[in-house]
Amino acid sequence: MKLLARYNRVNLIAAVTVLFVTGIIYYLAISYILNDQVDKDILIEEQEVFSYVKQNNALPPVVEYKDQQIQFIKAHSPVKRTFINTDYYNAKGHEHESGRGLITSVVINGQIWQISIVESKVETEDLIQIIFFITIGVILFLLFVLFIVNRFILNRMWQPFYDILNQLRGFTLTDGKDIMHTSSSIDEFVELDNAVINMASRVKTDYKDLKTFTENASHELLTPIAVINSKLDSLIQTGEFNTEQSRLLNDVYDAVSRLTRLNQSLLLLVKIENHLVKDDQPVELKQLIEAKISQFRELFINKELDLKHDIVAREINVSPYLIDILLNNLIGNAIRHSDFNGGVNIILTQQELTVQNTGDNRPLPKGEIFKRFNKSANSEGSGLGLTISKQICESYKFELLYDYHEPYHCFTVKF
Amino acid sequence: MKILIVEDEKGLRESIEEYFSGDGNVCEVAADYNSAVAKVSLYRYDCVLLDITLPDGDGFDVLKYLKENKTPDGVLIISAKNSLDDKVMGLDMGADDYLVKPFHLSELKARVMAIVRRKSFSGNNLLVFNEIVIDLLAKEVKVSNVVLKLTRKEYSLLLYFIANKGKVVSKNAIAEHLWGDGVDLADNFDFIYSHIKNLRKKLEEIGSKDYIKAAYGMGYKFTDQ
Repeated sequence: MKLLARYNRVNLIAAVTVLFVTGIIYYLAISYILNDQVDKDILIEEQEVFSYVKQNNALPPVVEYKDQQIQFIKAHSPVKRTFINTDYYNAKGHEHESGRGLITSVVINGQIWQISIVESKVETEDLIQIIFFITIGVILFLLFVLFIVNRFILNRMWQPFYDILNQLRGFTLTDGKDIMHTSSSIDEFVELDNAVINMASRVKTDYKDLKTFTENASHELLTPIAVINSKLDSLIQTGEFNTEQSRLLNDVYDAVSRLTRLNQSLLLLVKIENHLVKDDQPVELKQLIEAKISQFRELFINKELDLKHDIVAREINVSPYLIDILLNNLIGNAIRHSDFNGGVNIILTQQELTVQNTGDNRPLPKGEIFKRFNKSANSEGSGLGLTISKQICESYKFELLYDYHEPYHCFTVKF
Repeated sequence: MKILIVEDEKGLRESIEEYFSGDGNVCEVAADYNSAVAKVSLYRYDCVLLDITLPDGDGFDVLKYLKENKTPDGVLIISAKNSLDDKVMGLDMGADDYLVKPFHLSELKARVMAIVRRKSFSGNNLLVFNEIVIDLLAKEVKVSNVVLKLTRKEYSLLLYFIANKGKVVSKNAIAEHLWGDGVDLADNFDFIYSHIKNLRKKLEEIGSKDYIKAAYGMGYKFTDQ
């Protein structure tokens, strides 16, 4: 629920409740005052009757005036003096109205007379009705005003917040864009804006430091690796080795080779993320893929893979260096992970490039395979190949997708 | 041939020197910018192996000095920076080749040999190893005057072996040379065995001696001894 809606709801409930309670209080107060007024009128009438009886020792004539009726009835027992709510018959309008009455009594010549004085309350009720309608009117007006305020004023007031939110949503560490200043006259939003801008720049600095560190560390590693590599090359020139020694040396060679690749991959990732490879030019993919196929020919033959390819002419604007790495990774992976005597398909259309290979009969976990250092248990690759491929694709706004269509593992680049 | 190795890292410098020495080669070394400039201003080399990051200067300045003085020395840049910009800059400035650290000594040797051949074989583009004669321009191999048909990779492999003759070349080095270092195939070197077997068979069938010797399961050695 939006803050605005929640705030409105609370506001509205509070306002309606308060108005409602006010209405009730009004009603009670006014009807009390008016009843009191009517009662006073009736008491005055009673007083008049009593004084008339005192002077004349007889009942006054029954006169009706000012919505007041008076009745005298012979009573046989003493009458208790009480105020009552009763009906009032309006003879003029021929209708019953609610009324207020007083039952009292007077004794004339030993005869008890019950006196009932009834006064119409129709004006009081009219007043209460008016109060009710005014309350309803005020509630409706309040709703209308709140609606207008929300619609046109609050939305505008919250605009800076939504601007900041949108910028946060579009914020990525890797692109060079900073969060722009959002102007607002509201203190909270100014504070939020400042905090967000500070946070973004701090995060970017930290990220940059980290990347610089990775790059420096990888660079610094290159020299010792170069020394190890060259020393190994020198060592194997020195003479005869027995089987055990050869095996050990081979293992060291392989480890150094993997270390080299790993290091190069890390450096490459940093470079792609920093957009440092900027030699984009039109590249004819068809030629490139055909060259790759011939480059890898021996590998296909060695594993007795059945290579099928269906390639159309397609020119894209990329760095030849990066697209070469991308193709190496995709085709290299297909060769490495396909089973002996398996099949590899390379399909290039105008919209996409797909590399498929048979192999393990289970689909790979889609969410995991593009993560750094994620690799299958029996793979001796660096675990960075697909990460690099994904990065390359992202830097050109291509999509790299994985899917498993029995029996093929398919990697698709959508241009 | 005469080679100058400009490299500040002692371990690497010594390995290169050791690998290139012998077989009639003369190696000189320079550990920093000043001694490198001093050497190239006094002597001529067939090839200068130039590290870019030196403690007291920039390797590019050594290259600039060489080019400004119009020396015929071949220059191979060895750099820890695998940066396209650096590579393009080095080659634009007149370097003959650019090799990124870490590299195999056999790869370095093959590259240096290629530079030296290009520089000095003007007019004579034949590479001879006993009965094997390679026409480098036509990319044609003859054994005892009979043309030997080789695939592009077999041809490249033969040149690589001859450049490193008498040395044990590791399988990793061969794989990287033939399939490029972008290919992560460290877990599968079997294909090299079958590849070399093919080359051997072709050479033998045409009457060449078997010069390719397997070396303790680590690599191969091309030798006539």
